[in-house]
Amino acid sequence: MTARRLLGAYVAVVMLFLALPIAVVIPSAFGEGNALAFPPQGFSLKWFAAILERPALLAAAANSAAIAAVATGVSLVVGTLSAFALRRYAFPGRGALMALFMAPLVFPAIVLAAAIAMVLAPMGLVRNFWGLVLAHIVVVLPYVVRTVSATLAEVDRAWEEAALTLGASPWRGFTSVTLPLLRPGLVAGATFSLIISFDEFTISLFLVGSGMMTLPIEMYNYAEYSLDPVLAAVSTLLILLTTAAVLAVERTVGLGKQFS
Amino acid sequence: MTAIAPSRRRPDLRRGLAATLLLAPGVALLALVLVWPFLVMLGMSLRERFPGPIVFSLAKYAEFLADDYLLTVALRSFSLALAVTALCAVLGYPVAWYLARARSRWAHLVFLGTIFPLLVSIVVRTMGWTILLGSEGLVNAALLRLGLVSEPLRLMQGFWSVVLGMVHVLLPFMVLSIAAVLGRIDAAYAEAASTLGATPLRGFLSVTLPLSVQGIAAGSVIVFCLTIGAFITPLWLGRGHVTVMAIAIHEQMVTLVDWPGGAASAMVLSFATLALLAGYGLLLRRWARR
Repeated sequence: MTARRLLGAYVAVVMLFLALPIAVVIPSAFGEGNALAFPPQGFSLKWFAAILERPALLAAAANSAAIAAVATGVSLVVGTLSAFALRRYAFPGRGALMALFMAPLVFPAIVLAAAIAMVLAPMGLVRNFWGLVLAHIVVVLPYVVRTVSATLAEVDRAWEEAALTLGASPWRGFTSVTLPLLRPGLVAGATFSLIISFDEFTISLFLVGSGMMTLPIEMYNYAEYSLDPVLAAVSTLLILLTTAAVLAVERTVGLGKQFS
Repeated sequence: MTAIAPSRRRPDLRRGLAATLLLAPGVALLALVLVWPFLVMLGMSLRERFPGPIVFSLAKYAEFLADDYLLTVALRSFSLALAVTALCAVLGYPVAWYLARARSRWAHLVFLGTIFPLLVSIVVRTMGWTILLGSEGLVNAALLRLGLVSEPLRLMQGFWSVVLGMVHVLLPFMVLSIAAVLGRIDAAYAEAASTLGATPLRGFLSVTLPLSVQGIAAGSVIVFCLTIGAFITPLWLGRGHVTVMAIAIHEQMVTLVDWPGGAASAMVLSFATLALLAGYGLLLRRWARR
């Protein structure tokens, strides 16, 4: 019994280690002073209001949101089709193909970033919305393929076979039987994809430029000349958004199941 | 296999066609934005100058091997990856155990807490570390007030602050990999060990731990690869004092505008990563045969 308590206490300490560096940012956004401080002096919401007076941050946030939305939409379609083929069909080279789809997850981001920029530059896709979308699709695709194929493994093939036996075409079987059963994987995959794309830094670094900035890089540039509470306010909003998204997914489909 | 075949005539051909069509968009995307760029980078590393004539030369690789600065940087990346992987494994194992075995009502919350840092922007996390560890940060304020130090310690710009930041964000990969394997191990094995008179510690060391090695290996490979290629965390938490491979590559390409040199360094890093993954693939195959 004491061993169990000890384990519980240890896990609590690790959770504190994980939460603390994120949690300390929140109070700093509500201070009155001009410097980033903890504990903050006084209480004010002026730094949140100040965000609205930073057009560069707002424009970058709009870009990041649009890029994340388009990249997620495309990777959901492409990723679901790929995951279905990889799970439901046997063909030579399937293992290698699966590894290729997962590669962007572990491949050094800086190498991928520079290499993509080399290829996109001659096409005029650097400092361009669609160039960033293309690069982000490749970054988020592994997350979609992974969550969808984990869910597919759980879906009993008997349902799909029943649809075919009853005379449905394979496509109809897929859209009216498999797809609804895949919903949890799709929701989890979409959430991860949106968050990962929105926060992406290294891949975007070689593809942004004046007129086409993403929020993380704009924040990075901002921090270079002043580390003031405006950044803490933006960060607080990001933390709240992420928490809300994670909790929403957790309540509707359960995140834990999407990882096995 | 046969039951799902929709047509009695040449089902294999139709299924082959279906699989090809389903995979086509994904493969086309990866070919354009992953494989092709990689080959372009490989070609760049074999040049001597850019812009300049296309030649086949290993000159830039030879320069890399003769460059003391780059070799030191490579060694630093390697030690960083080793330290982060080891810390993640030691720190993460009990958490994975808790998630997979403890049947606690807090397990859900612990799971969310574990993956959360992964979903929070690097910019936010760095700001948090600065508030905690900066020269006017919480830790220094506490140390000064307690009189343990007379002037602020420089906690932020060293090797270990980078290790801390990397462990913070990569721990979920280790925990989830180990938990997945622990969840599959039959608890009956450990019970058998204790019925046969083994102490809980001995039961753990000689039964459960060896069975969970696959999870530790899977997590270690991911964490090692992600650390050895890390760019932004070392850049921010090291404050320019901890140059790792990715930072050196960025310097070579962007600051020195030596694209072939940067590409050669990038290829060294890529091949190291790919070799590690290939080695792990072989290991997996051996385990599968057992």
